[in-house]
Amino acid sequence: MKFKISMAMVTGLLAACVGNAAYAADPKCGASTGTAAAGEPIVIGGIVSVTGPDNFSSSGLAAAAYFKCLNANGGVNGRPVKYQLEDDAWNPEQSSQVAVKLIRDQKAVALVGNMSFVDCGANQGIYEKEDIMVIAGVGVPRDCFFQKNYAPTNAGPRVSNTKAVMDVAQSYPGKIKRVVCIAPNIPNLGEWSCTGAVAWIKKQGGDGKIITFDPGSLDATSVVLEAMAFKPDVISVGTPKGLAVPIFAAAEEQGLADKVHFTGPASLYNLDFPRAIGKYWDGKVTVDMELKAADAATPDMQNWLAVMEKYGQASDPRDTFSQAGYLAARVTAETLMKMDAAKIDRRSVTAALRNIKRFESDMWCSPWYVGDGSRHNANHAGPVSLVKDGKLVPKQVCIESEDPELDDVHAYEKTIGIAK
Amino acid sequence: MADQSLEVASPIPTARLPLGVAALYAAALVGLYLLPAALSDYWLRTLISVSALTVASLSVSLLFAQLGMVSLAQFGLLGVGGWFALRISHGLGVPFELALLTGGVAAALVGLVIGLPALRMRGLYLAIITLMMAGAIQVLISAFGFPDGGSGILGKSTGTRVMMARPFLAQNDEAYLRYALVIAGLCYGLVLLHVRGRPGRAWAMIRRSEVCAFAGGVNIVAYKVWAFALAGFLAGIAGGLLAGGVGQLDASAFPASQSIMLFALTIVGGAYSWIGPIVAGLLLRAFPALLNDFRVDGNIATMVFGIGLLHALITAPHGVAGQLRDLVGTVRRLLGGKRKAGP
Amino acid sequence: MPDFTPFLVAGLATAATYVLSGVGIVVLYRASGVVNFAQGAVGALAAFTSWSIVERGGPAELSWIAGIAAAAAISFFYGRAIAPRLAYSDPVMRAVATLSFALILLGFMGYVWGEAPRRLRLPTDTMSFELLGVRITMTRAIAFGLGLLATAAVMVFLACSRLGLQMRALASSRELSAMLGVRVFRVDGWAWVISGVLAGVSGILLADLQRLSGQALTFAVIPAIAASVVGRFASLPATVAGGLAIGVCEALLTPVPIVGPFRTAVPFLFAVGAMFWMQRRIAFVYR
Repeated sequence: MKFKISMAMVTGLLAACVGNAAYAADPKCGASTGTAAAGEPIVIGGIVSVTGPDNFSSSGLAAAAYFKCLNANGGVNGRPVKYQLEDDAWNPEQSSQVAVKLIRDQKAVALVGNMSFVDCGANQGIYEKEDIMVIAGVGVPRDCFFQKNYAPTNAGPRVSNTKAVMDVAQSYPGKIKRVVCIAPNIPNLGEWSCTGAVAWIKKQGGDGKIITFDPGSLDATSVVLEAMAFKPDVISVGTPKGLAVPIFAAAEEQGLADKVHFTGPASLYNLDFPRAIGKYWDGKVTVDMELKAADAATPDMQNWLAVMEKYGQASDPRDTFSQAGYLAARVTAETLMKMDAAKIDRRSVTAALRNIKRFESDMWCSPWYVGDGSRHNANHAGPVSLVKDGKLVPKQVCIESEDPELDDVHAYEKTIGIAK
Repeated sequence: MADQSLEVASPIPTARLPLGVAALYAAALVGLYLLPAALSDYWLRTLISVSALTVASLSVSLLFAQLGMVSLAQFGLLGVGGWFALRISHGLGVPFELALLTGGVAAALVGLVIGLPALRMRGLYLAIITLMMAGAIQVLISAFGFPDGGSGILGKSTGTRVMMARPFLAQNDEAYLRYALVIAGLCYGLVLLHVRGRPGRAWAMIRRSEVCAFAGGVNIVAYKVWAFALAGFLAGIAGGLLAGGVGQLDASAFPASQSIMLFALTIVGGAYSWIGPIVAGLLLRAFPALLNDFRVDGNIATMVFGIGLLHALITAPHGVAGQLRDLVGTVRRLLGGKRKAGP
Repeated sequence: MPDFTPFLVAGLATAATYVLSGVGIVVLYRASGVVNFAQGAVGALAAFTSWSIVERGGPAELSWIAGIAAAAAISFFYGRAIAPRLAYSDPVMRAVATLSFALILLGFMGYVWGEAPRRLRLPTDTMSFELLGVRITMTRAIAFGLGLLATAAVMVFLACSRLGLQMRALASSRELSAMLGVRVFRVDGWAWVISGVLAGVSGILLADLQRLSGQALTFAVIPAIAASVVGRFASLPATVAGGLAIGVCEALLTPVPIVGPFRTAVPFLFAVGAMFWMQRRIAFVYR
């Protein structure tokens, strides 16, 4: 029944967004030959969190759809991709188990479309030891952006939080002085994801406060009241969407929408979200996006929708994480196609993926890259959307995150010619 | 039901069959050598967790079978042991064995504190108070997080995360599984030593009647405290093994609900038999891994565990182990019957 | 010095849901000698049932009644079909059996509804009034009122009705009551129904005040158990006081620096403290 609802919502939104049904055109994947690949399969894995506190798998599902499309269109120079998706159940132990299963037992050449709260931390050791490259869909905790073998196509909660606050500050120039950022006290995630936004507001002469709470604790009202005790101008709810719902409910109870601006990072960007928080918030919450909007009607965006339409399930979400998974799969597939199909093994694939210095798509605000840096955070700009009429309506401007932690990333970009 | 001990419940009549015992040991050694080499890496990692959880379940069954006490805090103690093992390993770079022992001792001390209320209460109130302690441990762990190679008391890293160093002898998964199995075997030995020795007799008397034990000159306080400390030590060792297997631990993995699950499955496995904790370990980690392999919803496992516990409580107080023993008994009777009929 | 008034007001409503659950636990324990760890899970089932009906466009009033009825029914089913099989085992084992019941319900709810961002909505959420400078929704006021009202009703019921008298008799001695002609199973069944109804109301209110999540609602039983411990599983007024104190203390600690992050440990501290306080007296029967 959950699926039925989201199906109806997805179809409704798609009809509303894309109207003219331009995506009904055949999706383009790989060489677009139209013939199925029949050679020896190339094994690619992916780790997502399906069971547990929240279903966190949309990125992997999108990657699966893209690879299916690729296989139907000639594959990687004739070789199909065998994409194997595993569930880590939000549990580091299980995450490390499925990682060795994919890497050692199945001999995957790369992992693509990962999306998990625990994968980056639990498997960093094995990724480096086996020197396998992970082109993740969605990185969440700090570990995802601070390792050599993990390159996410998304921006991460810290960048996203910073952008969300910057957008509010730009919308109300001179009015935003005090920021509260709420985050769960998950190690390597909570504090870290908020520090960028707080550092930015302090640089603007304002003040900020981070409130972390135990996700096991139920008392959202206390959290909201604690935030209000700081007398903020903007509150950023930097939590997984499941935890954000009660926080917005508590804020609604206190009638805070008219007193404070509410915003949140891309973790809230979900089609269900406006409905889950209710009508009260119509036009009163902004949500950051890591990639451009689904209705941008640009070629690659249309292609993503077409791939999902033809090769995905109707129940697969069409959210920012799905876009990220599609991009991860596309990046990997197009890199593999440039290689000699007979010589595809883990070592050559890792080297080829590391060598991506510029990859363009109209879904990103700026070109994406991997490079041989010790950390990867290529995506740090994107638009912001507004909750309106039960939907998330994006503003068509890219915001560049001004988080000081990105200084080394900017410096690296100059050396490979992405940034000036 | 309350009179069983590890020794009595052993399905192998040890006194009469020294040859059989020798064969069993030999089989165990051969298995130890062959099994890890035959497994896929997925199952290697799964069985590493299974052996750690077996030790954890042993700690629950020690308290339950020997003293009749319900402790719902043992999985929290796993977290405590893992925390100290990680902290020592990262902070001082000591060999794995020392880190493991430190974790065990730290958890034993905390277990001792948890056991203090047991001096004055038992039964339901002890169960509730240990559940509350498990909750408190969960709050502490989720507030502090686990050390991952940083400095300071909490050892939180601000740079890259460091993995716990594995034992010198067991760097890869295959060797580590053997290592973990040997440690689990040593833990069994430690428990057996206690059960067969003076503490076992004292515990048995306390379980029967504290007044009798007191009259018999048993130092009730000392033996009760010792049982809790020993159980804590085992849980701590299990935590250290788990930390070594994954390389680190996650703060969200030690909620009070896991302690409940550990206790439930120890009962399902059979707390009175040495097979019970192994069954519990397999149920806790291998069963969900199997379901995951077949893409079955993990919630099914929770339901199955609930039903299994209910079944164990109502009709099979000796758990899976007890049913296995009945099965072995039946088979033996049948075989014996045939043999008599033969010549 | 932070202003504590808003925290006090907010904490009272949460506390009321603890009180409702706690009273249910105590009533059941007095009548049938079972400490019900599944109280939270039963409440969660009520909340999910309600939510499903509202989601499919059903009327709100019907959904609450259906939710509470579902809770009462499942509680009665356990009390009638499973609990009697354990009537002669240890109190611990009877309590542990309810844990298995909670696990089954938890797995079932996870399988059917899964975890997603949800919240139950009541029409009273949008009505509110100001008190001491804090906005209070009607839902919170109702939760608080219901908590006290239900306790009072249960106390009057136990004191004045025939069934209440029989329940008290059962609490004193099951065997003697049975010999005197009290229909033990029938009285038992009613105790399970009452505790199921209280669990259902508490679950629906919690799902509205906080969030609708099987895990969270199931383990909301811990503060309720702590409240019952304060009441020694016997005294209703003490349980009410315990529940209120736990809920309010948890809320009041929120703005306090350093201690704030550890405030979820309040129920545990209360329960442990209460147990040690009771240990002080010789008359305390611990088994």
